[in-house]
Amino acid sequence: MRRRVLLNVGVPILSLLLVLGVWQLVVVGFHVASYIAPRPREAITSVTSQWSTLWPLILGTIRETIYGYLIGAVLGFALGVVMAKIPVVQRLVYPVILVSQAVPVIALAPVLVIILGFGIVPKIVIVTWIVFFPVTVNVLDGLGHVDPDLKNLARVYGASRWRTFVQIEVPASTTPLFSGLKIGAIYAVTGAIIGELAASEGNSLALYQEHANSNLNTAAVYGTTIVMTLIGIAWFLLVVALEVWSTPWQRRSVARRRWRRGAGGAAG
Amino acid sequence: MVPVSTTLLELREVGKVFGDTVALAPTSLAIEEGSFVAIVGPSGCGKSTMFNVIAGLLRPDGGDVVLRGAPITASTGHVGYMLQKDLLVPWRTVEDNITMATRLTRRVTDEDRAEARRVAHQYGLGEFLRHYPSALSGGMRQRVAFMRTLVTHQELLLLDEPFGALDAQTRLEMQEWLLRVWKDTGRTVLFITHDVDESIFLSDRIVVMSPRPGRVVADLANPLARPRGIHTLLEPDFIALKAKVLGLLHGEEA
Repeated sequence: MRRRVLLNVGVPILSLLLVLGVWQLVVVGFHVASYIAPRPREAITSVTSQWSTLWPLILGTIRETIYGYLIGAVLGFALGVVMAKIPVVQRLVYPVILVSQAVPVIALAPVLVIILGFGIVPKIVIVTWIVFFPVTVNVLDGLGHVDPDLKNLARVYGASRWRTFVQIEVPASTTPLFSGLKIGAIYAVTGAIIGELAASEGNSLALYQEHANSNLNTAAVYGTTIVMTLIGIAWFLLVVALEVWSTPWQRRSVARRRWRRGAGGAAG
Repeated sequence: MVPVSTTLLELREVGKVFGDTVALAPTSLAIEEGSFVAIVGPSGCGKSTMFNVIAGLLRPDGGDVVLRGAPITASTGHVGYMLQKDLLVPWRTVEDNITMATRLTRRVTDEDRAEARRVAHQYGLGEFLRHYPSALSGGMRQRVAFMRTLVTHQELLLLDEPFGALDAQTRLEMQEWLLRVWKDTGRTVLFITHDVDESIFLSDRIVVMSPRPGRVVADLANPLARPRGIHTLLEPDFIALKAKVLGLLHGEEA
């Protein structure tokens, strides 16, 4: 157990430290000017020294990401289910969805601002726009690949379509569902930042970075980028944790004792 | 030929055509309550089509499926059903897989769970109730699948080559195990196989089928005494019956 934690947590951290090390080596070794690339420590200090200013902006970005992600995930799942269940809807909606993803989101942002104004709404819409697609495609794929013999077995037992869906089809699709959710998680922050660039009247993480850039504060530009990245990674890891928690059968051979009342463990 | 007073299942002129292929020519068959009937035949002889019709998954082109005097043609929820694929769901424990059929029709009660545990203990899986199926061997998985079929409380169990994917040694163990459970529970079993030995070892009666068109070519009583064991495989009656079934299967293919 301890060994596995070390492997699953320690090694990724080590690889990130390695990236910082290479960064440091390149900047120092090639005498890169600090207005082109700061040293890692300078980038990190630029964040910590401005923490009280940055923290509310970070919270803003997180809020946009979470709202947009949740709406996108629910919408994406629902759309995937409806499309999988009703072939006409699938033929009707699929082209529209594809077109929606072919539109460059950066080009879309100003349009959304025209329609929805400034504020949090256009940012949430952009995040939703980005997140729902991988979820829909994966749910559609997952539901389409449930073993037909298993569905027939449910029919023989006299199961209703609803129970077959809840008890068989959804759990059988968890792996592709989480693939979609993870892809969405890693792109969600990008959507929020694009939204902030196009639609921030006051303050935002994206504008803070732009401001730093125009002030030739390269360390802060790098620092802000790191912060944005960390938000994305944190969100991704949260989704991974949810997956690990909700799919114990993929790692364990024996279930943990249940807390359900009356379920009492078996006497070996 | 057989007195009809205890007939559980009856097929009356049931047939099914797919396109130009007669999967099952109009067939009549009566299955007595509590009996173990093997259906043996090569692929394409219509045995699985017959099963799917009985299970209600397929609507026959004509004829009726009658269970205890009531027509159940093209309706599901009347029989237990098990395939070569165990179809255990990986996200449920052994206990929860056994109660799966119940969960698909109504809320699972403590009594359902207690019964699942009792059956598992009785038939050698008590220590694995909280295991996920991925931790079990092929033979154990088929046992769980059979228990899942058993706790549906259906009188008629349709088993479609349930041991077809197991190695010979495990298969023989499973056959003896199945006979024990069958004797204890008194269910009626309809057992599809293409293995002649298996059909003779298990059954009271052997229905031989043949392809193009899929149809019943013989309906043989099995005189072998019970309980059966490895010794059964060497009895003269076993050999004689095997010769007869093999002859029927090959005579039709020539």
